[in-house]
Amino acid sequence: MRRLNEITCVFRIQLAGMRSEAGPFLLAAVVFPSAMYLFAGAVGGAGAAGDETRLRFLAGSIVFSLSLTSISWLGYLMLENRFTGRLKLFATLPLSPSSYVFGFLGFALAQGALSTAALLTLGRLAGVPARASLAPLALVVVLTILCLCGLGAVVAARARSFTEGSLMTDALGAGLVFLAPVYYGPEAMPAWLGAVSRFLPTAFAASAVRTALAGGHEVYGEALALALTATATLALALRLLKWRED
Amino acid sequence: MTRTATQAIEGRGRRGADAPALSARGLCKRYADGTEANRGIDLDVLAGEVVSVLGPNGAGKTTFLRQVTTELRPTEGRVEVFGVDAVAAPLRAKRLMGVTPQEAGVFERLTVREHLELFARLKGLAKADARAAAREVADELCLTGEWGRRVGSLSGGQRRRVLVGLALLGRPPLLVLDEPTTGLDPASRRAVWDVIGRAAERGAAVILSTHYIEEAERLSDRVAVILAGRLVAFGTPEELLGRLERSYRVSYRDPLDPEGEPRSLYFKSFAEARRHVEAERLSEYTVARASLEDVYFTLTGLRAEEGAREEAACGV
Repeated sequence: MRRLNEITCVFRIQLAGMRSEAGPFLLAAVVFPSAMYLFAGAVGGAGAAGDETRLRFLAGSIVFSLSLTSISWLGYLMLENRFTGRLKLFATLPLSPSSYVFGFLGFALAQGALSTAALLTLGRLAGVPARASLAPLALVVVLTILCLCGLGAVVAARARSFTEGSLMTDALGAGLVFLAPVYYGPEAMPAWLGAVSRFLPTAFAASAVRTALAGGHEVYGEALALALTATATLALALRLLKWRED
Repeated sequence: MTRTATQAIEGRGRRGADAPALSARGLCKRYADGTEANRGIDLDVLAGEVVSVLGPNGAGKTTFLRQVTTELRPTEGRVEVFGVDAVAAPLRAKRLMGVTPQEAGVFERLTVREHLELFARLKGLAKADARAAAREVADELCLTGEWGRRVGSLSGGQRRRVLVGLALLGRPPLLVLDEPTTGLDPASRRAVWDVIGRAAERGAAVILSTHYIEEAERLSDRVAVILAGRLVAFGTPEELLGRLERSYRVSYRDPLDPEGEPRSLYFKSFAEARRHVEAERLSEYTVARASLEDVYFTLTGLRAEEGAREEAACGV
């Protein structure tokens, strides 16, 4: 019960901060990924290529949105807490680092739910023929957020300066989408990159979101890969995030 | 804060308890680069007393306090908070303290009410208690008028008071305040002094670091002076004054250099001081009993004007 209260408080502190940042959030979570959908369609010829490509672009934009909000945005907030001295307020409280991280995860999940719903609605308005299987989609979205938040938290805990950390989270947030077969297939990449990038979490996420948007349920392999990556990144983040210095 | 701890300190009044609220024994901190920031510090703080930690910049005051607050792991030595080993059980120890870190930031987008209430909840207070505690702390620190304002819109001094307020939430039996009044205007500083005094009256133990000797003199039951990582003096202001062999100060201007800096000389007795004034035919001078400031400058080997420059350099 105490732990739940701690997590809720950390969540509410972040949520209260969102009041004045709703605009930038919409920009990062909805407007920018929507623009990427249009851009990919214009460059890739979505109209001509048909429904499957449009589904790929919508799935790509959902993953892009999750990446921007989970790695770039959440990572930025964690860096801000660390380098502006706010983290000291938590570190000197009888609060475990895991409550702090889980509070952030709750906030990221709320953001992810909001942005995914918004992008699905926009996709529908744009005529994307999505017949989303909600349970697999929700599972994949949650696992993707956990996995990417773990990466953001690792960067935030390891960065030597705010500038270094924010550059890293920005580069990771966008790089993990554009270097993975998210908007385009691995065949469009150099062979070595295609071979490597198919193991990136964003590649598993995009594949699973595509399957779920098409009404499929066979996302178990990708879900397992995402769950394993999430476990590894979050465990590393918790290990690196120490209240006490040596 | 636990109920047991709260009940344990209620009604004791200042310096009412025998068992130390905070006990540090042989505390050493060596950083990876070999710097020895603390070298075997032994210090107790009793319930109901205020202990001020003085020392020049880089002396090891903050390192010492950060080991007390469990932010920093000691290289050697023990820290106990009401008998709880703060090194082995940091969460339990932290439930007994309220902390104002030296360089902590605030959440600018929260209102004062939200900031205080949410942190009171994080300290384990129930919703209604958190609300009451937040209101009480805001009243004590003259923040009621800013209750609904975003913390980001407050002045630097008001933000510092919010940070002090976070430490006071839930009336913890030990307060650890690292330079709580740095950057505050005189009125705000006085408000914080009053709050610290009332906390001690209620039985809380308070340890604070400060650059203001006046603050230490006014607030403290005992004063600790840390120099180059060592505790070089610890006692009541009277005890520390008693350590001065020459406890009368003559401050004067050199008749041959009337535009120069004022000078000070110390003497064992008032009569000896008078004799010096007459022998030197000083016309512009004061003779006074030595103060805590004189003790500090004697112990640290700084001259008053160097100390003033140091304070100015760190924005004090």
